[in-house]
Amino acid sequence: MGFAISGAAGAVAYFFPAITTAIQDTGHSIVHSTAPSSASQTPAPTDAPPGQPFTVLLLGSDNDAKYSGNKVLTQSMILTRIDPATKHVVMLSIPRDTYAPLSTGGTDKIDKAYLYGGANAAVQTVEQDFHVHVDHYAWIGLVGLVSLIDKLGGVDVVATNPVLDDFYPADLSGNNPYAYERVAVLPGPQHMNGIQALEYVRSRHGDLRSDFGRSQRQQQVLLAIRAKAKLLGLSDLPDVASAMSADFSTDMSIPQVASLLPLASQVTLQNVQQVLLLPPFTSDAFIGGQDVLIPHWPLILTETHKYFPAA
Amino acid sequence: MRRALTIVVLLALMGAFAFGVNRFFALRKAHVAEASTPTVSKPAFVLPGTIYVAQQGVMYKLNRGTFTALRLPKNGTWMQPAIVPGTNDIVAVMRTAAYSEVFQIDGVAGTVINQLSHNATTSSTIQLNHWMFWPRLSADGQTLYVSYDSPKSIQSYEIEFAVWAGPLSGKIASKQWTDPFSYTGGDVAPVPLPGGALLYSKYEISGGNVYSRLAIDTRARADPVYLTNDTDDCGQPAVSPDGTQLAMVCTGGTGLQSTRLEVAPLTGTTLGTPRTLVDNCLCSSPQWSPDGRSLVYYAPADATGHFQLWWIDGAAGLTPKPPKQVTQNLDLDATSPPAWSPA
Repeated sequence: MGFAISGAAGAVAYFFPAITTAIQDTGHSIVHSTAPSSASQTPAPTDAPPGQPFTVLLLGSDNDAKYSGNKVLTQSMILTRIDPATKHVVMLSIPRDTYAPLSTGGTDKIDKAYLYGGANAAVQTVEQDFHVHVDHYAWIGLVGLVSLIDKLGGVDVVATNPVLDDFYPADLSGNNPYAYERVAVLPGPQHMNGIQALEYVRSRHGDLRSDFGRSQRQQQVLLAIRAKAKLLGLSDLPDVASAMSADFSTDMSIPQVASLLPLASQVTLQNVQQVLLLPPFTSDAFIGGQDVLIPHWPLILTETHKYFPAA
Repeated sequence: MRRALTIVVLLALMGAFAFGVNRFFALRKAHVAEASTPTVSKPAFVLPGTIYVAQQGVMYKLNRGTFTALRLPKNGTWMQPAIVPGTNDIVAVMRTAAYSEVFQIDGVAGTVINQLSHNATTSSTIQLNHWMFWPRLSADGQTLYVSYDSPKSIQSYEIEFAVWAGPLSGKIASKQWTDPFSYTGGDVAPVPLPGGALLYSKYEISGGNVYSRLAIDTRARADPVYLTNDTDDCGQPAVSPDGTQLAMVCTGGTGLQSTRLEVAPLTGTTLGTPRTLVDNCLCSSPQWSPDGRSLVYYAPADATGHFQLWWIDGAAGLTPKPPKQVTQNLDLDATSPPAWSPA
C-alpha cells in the first residue's frame, strides 16, 4: 500500500505541470448553437462517441502586448474533421476577414467572434454560419505556438515561396508592441524554430493572396507539428503542458488530448485534405471602413458539407 | 528501536520508489538530439575538394574529411557561400535581423577580404534596409549576381526579390536583370550560364497557389523562357560545370510537405525529361561536384529534422548510385546551398 502511494506520488510529481494545465487550460465547456442562423443557446450536444469522426475548431490569436486578457481576435480559424477509423483529416481554413453573422449579434469579421464572446462565440458562430456541429475547440496564442514548436525541437517545413515583410509586428521582441521588424523567410525545405515558424505563418503583407496565403502556410505548419507529435508519448505531456501553459485552452480533457497523440502518427500526408475558401467562395469588399471578404454561402455550404456533416 | 528503524528504512524505500517512478517517466520522454558542431564531427567518407556549408550562422569548410570554421565577424549569421571561379575565394551572405550583406572571403585563410554591399541604413526607418541573398559568380569570376529586394517603396507593403548583377570589383547590384511578379516573393537563386544567359527560380501565383518555375533570361530584363511548368513547382537550380545537366528540387504533387530531387539535361533554353534521383524527401540545395559527375544536397536523416549532407555518385548519368549520407548529427542550414571547390 505504501509503495503504491509513493509510486503514485512520484507519478503525480512528474505529471504535475500536465495536471496543472489540465485544470487550468483543458476541459473548458462550450455552449453550442442550436440551429443554423440562430443565436439561441442550449446545452452541448453529445460529443462524437470514441472512434467516430469528430470536428475540432482550431483557433489561433495574436495575443501580444497590444491586447489585454482574452480580448483578442482569432487570426487563424481552421475547421478540422478527424476520422480515427480511416485516419483521414480535412482542414478547412476560414478566412479571418469573412463578413458573417456573429453569434453575439450583428454582422462583422468572423475573427471578432472570439473577441466579443471567447471560444463559445467562435464555436457558435461557425456552427450557425457553416451549418456544422463542432465537437471541440482548441485555442493557442503566439507564445504558446512558439513554445510548443521549440519544445518539439523545431518543425520541418517546405516554405512555399520567399516570405518578405517589412511591416511585421515586433510585438514579441521589443518594448513597443506597435513597432515593426523585417522578415525574410527563404523558400524551400528547412528546419524552423518557434520564432521562425511564427514568422512564416503570421506574415501576410508581402503575399498577393494575403490571408489565403497565410492560411495555407498555417495548415502547412500544423501538419509539420503533427509530424513531430509522432515522436511524443505520455511522458512528454508535462513538458508540452509547461510550454503552452496559459497560452492554450481547449474543451478537450487530458485523456482526449493524449488519445490524439497516437492518431497523429497514424495519419499520412496523403490522407490530409487542405481546403481554402478562395474566390469564388469569397469576394473582396469594403464595408464599415474595413476590407472584408463577402462569403458566398451557397457555394461555401456545398463545399463545407462535402467534408463536414450538415447540422 | 527496531520498529523505528524499520519505519525509517521503509520510508526511505518508499521515497526511493517514488523517485524511481518519477525518473521512469522522465526517461521515457522523446529526446530531441542536440546537433553536433561540425568541427567535432567526422564525415562518413572523404569527398574531393573543399565543400563550404553553414550551420547555425557559422560558415565551415570541409576539406580532406575535416571541418574547419571560418574566422568571420560575429555580428551576423553567415550563409550561402559561392565559389569565385579561378580563385580560392568565396562570396557569402552575412545576415542580421534587418538586412544582409555580401562579402568576399579568402577561402584558405577563412577571413573577410572585402564587404561588397552596403544594405544597412543608419535611419530608424527599418524599411530602408535591404536584403541580398544567393550571390553567384559568372564563369569568368567577374560578374556577381544576387537576389536583391529592390526596387521598393517604404510606403508600400510590396517587396520581392529581383535578380541584379554587377562587377565583383564595383557596385555589385548595378543592373537589374529580372522583373519579378508582384507580391510573390520574386526571383531567387540566380545561376549565370555560359554565354551570358541567366537561369533562376521565378515565383508566380496561379489559381490561388504560389509556384516556382525555372526560367532563363537570355539578356537583362528579357522575357523569361520557362523550363518548367507551374504545377511542377521546381526551384533551387544547380547547373553542372559543363552546363549540360540541371539539378532541381520540385514540390509539385507532393502536398507541399515533401520534395523530389530531379536532374534533367539542359541544352540552351531547352530542358530534357527529368529523372528523379530521390522521391518523397525533404531534399534541398543540390550542388554539383567540380567534375560534374556527382552532386551533394541536404536532407534530414531522421525525424529530428536536422539536415545532413548527402552525396549521389553518377548523378549526371542514367544509372546514379543510391544516396550516401556524408554527415551525422549536424544541423546544416538547408536554405544555404553548399559551395564545392576543386581545390
